[in-house]
Amino acid sequence: MKHAATMLVLILLFVLPVIVLMLIALAPGWRFPDVWPQAFSMKGIAYFLRHQDRILFSLGNSFLFSLLTVLATLSMCLFPAAVFARTEFRGKALLEGLLLTPALVPPMTFAMGLHFVFIKLALAETLIGVVLVLAMFSYPYMFRALVAGFQTMGEKYRICARNLGAGPLMTLWRVELPLLMPAAVAGGSVVFLVAFSEYFLVFLIGGGSVASFTGTLFPLLSSSNRSLAAILTLIFLLLPVVLFLVVDGVLAWTYRKKGLL
Amino acid sequence: MSWTTNLLARLSPLLLPYLVLFCGGVFLTVCQSLGVLTPLPYEGGLLDAYARILGEPSFFSSFGFSLWVAAASAAIAVIAGTLLAYRVWQLPRRLAGAALIYKIPLILPHIAVAFVVLVFWSRSGILASVCHALGLIQSMQAFPNVLYSGWGLGMILAYSLKGAPFAMLLVLALLARFDIRQIQTAAMLGASGTRIFFTIVLPRLAPAVHTAFIILFLYSFGAFDIPYILSESRPGMLSIHVYNLYFKHDLVRRPEAMAILTLMFAFAVLFIVVYSKAVRRLENGVRKL
Repeated sequence: MKHAATMLVLILLFVLPVIVLMLIALAPGWRFPDVWPQAFSMKGIAYFLRHQDRILFSLGNSFLFSLLTVLATLSMCLFPAAVFARTEFRGKALLEGLLLTPALVPPMTFAMGLHFVFIKLALAETLIGVVLVLAMFSYPYMFRALVAGFQTMGEKYRICARNLGAGPLMTLWRVELPLLMPAAVAGGSVVFLVAFSEYFLVFLIGGGSVASFTGTLFPLLSSSNRSLAAILTLIFLLLPVVLFLVVDGVLAWTYRKKGLL
Repeated sequence: MSWTTNLLARLSPLLLPYLVLFCGGVFLTVCQSLGVLTPLPYEGGLLDAYARILGEPSFFSSFGFSLWVAAASAAIAVIAGTLLAYRVWQLPRRLAGAALIYKIPLILPHIAVAFVVLVFWSRSGILASVCHALGLIQSMQAFPNVLYSGWGLGMILAYSLKGAPFAMLLVLALLARFDIRQIQTAAMLGASGTRIFFTIVLPRLAPAVHTAFIILFLYSFGAFDIPYILSESRPGMLSIHVYNLYFKHDLVRRPEAMAILTLMFAFAVLFIVVYSKAVRRLENGVRKL
């Protein structure tokens, strides 16, 4: 009974909105005071199909800069995370605190300062500029995950590989990176979601030139075309879920193939 | 190569972007707030922009309003998230997989969560329809004007819905390592469920609860996405104020936008420092088992 209550609360809070979005997607004319739509139609979906080129392009673009952000944060954090997990030095706690602040302070505060310089450097309205700014405030999630990953892994594998004659690069590529994959995937998922769902920074730095899915969705949310807005929101939900399932599957498959699982 | 140089070299992939983009960005914001390095040469004195925004009562009402929205939504999200996480943790194994539905709002972007709040809580929304069907209200106008009450309730609802699963995620990560025998012992010694939660479980969840509160509070304090969809005209959130000054006004007013951003940054840093200090002091006073 107690568990049923828990599940009911979870469903009401988190699943009901999705069900309602599905209904709105299929019933553009659903209005007050109907508790259930009077008529269903494919109008919303037809509209989506008519504009699918533009929508799918922005979706692909969002996907691209989010993946690039994940790669950027990974390459920024990999070596420093190893240092933080393995070395003790003076001021480490303070430095760690400082390095985590970009995820805490409002990103507007540094992004708007950068905007003007990005315009001067021709980085504004480019994919690289967007990736740089997104990476700058999402890397702490990757950093935390990698530090934890290095700590769980310990030093034994590295020392063992080095003793067997592997160079530092070989050790990193063949031993440490494969063992770090779960941590990198965990951190990368958060970074991906943060980048993928950000609206304002992409709008600020990307201007009109970097198409994004949030940028396509935004004007629809307050328009009368609620049906299309609901469809796009559902795609928003589906795409990361599919991506995470695929990544998890591939990871499990490789681990099994290598006999690690 | 000395040890320190080696250390700095290995930290450089992170330190360089941090110094150039983050510290550089904040530095440029502060400079522009003082009228230096602005797109247009600035005529006024160094602190003119600050004098002007601090002279406007609307700045203080916006600041107070942002604080209220941030504190209320972070508190609701953290309390609801912690309680739900504790209940989810107690679920039997066969339900644990289904409970993953709590991650749905984590995936949805903020603007989509704001849309969900609009769909449910507006006067022509789902809840109004349900009230009408139940005979509680006769017309749209009878439904409470939740979204435009002047209290930012729409934004608080949206931030809470988005934030509660985040708090759950952090709390569940700690609960995964929690020793269930502590609860069993307390129960055998006759502690009630409430007593167990408050004296045994909650103190051990404190680190996750505090982290979640800091992150959610500061996010709601300074973010733009949700207020842009759900905000009421007056008083507005600070981020909307900055947006209007930055995009909708003359370039001459750029330093004012930057001055507000500088004050927001200073407040965020101050909040992190004071909050962590206060937590540390509180926890030193608590007897550890």
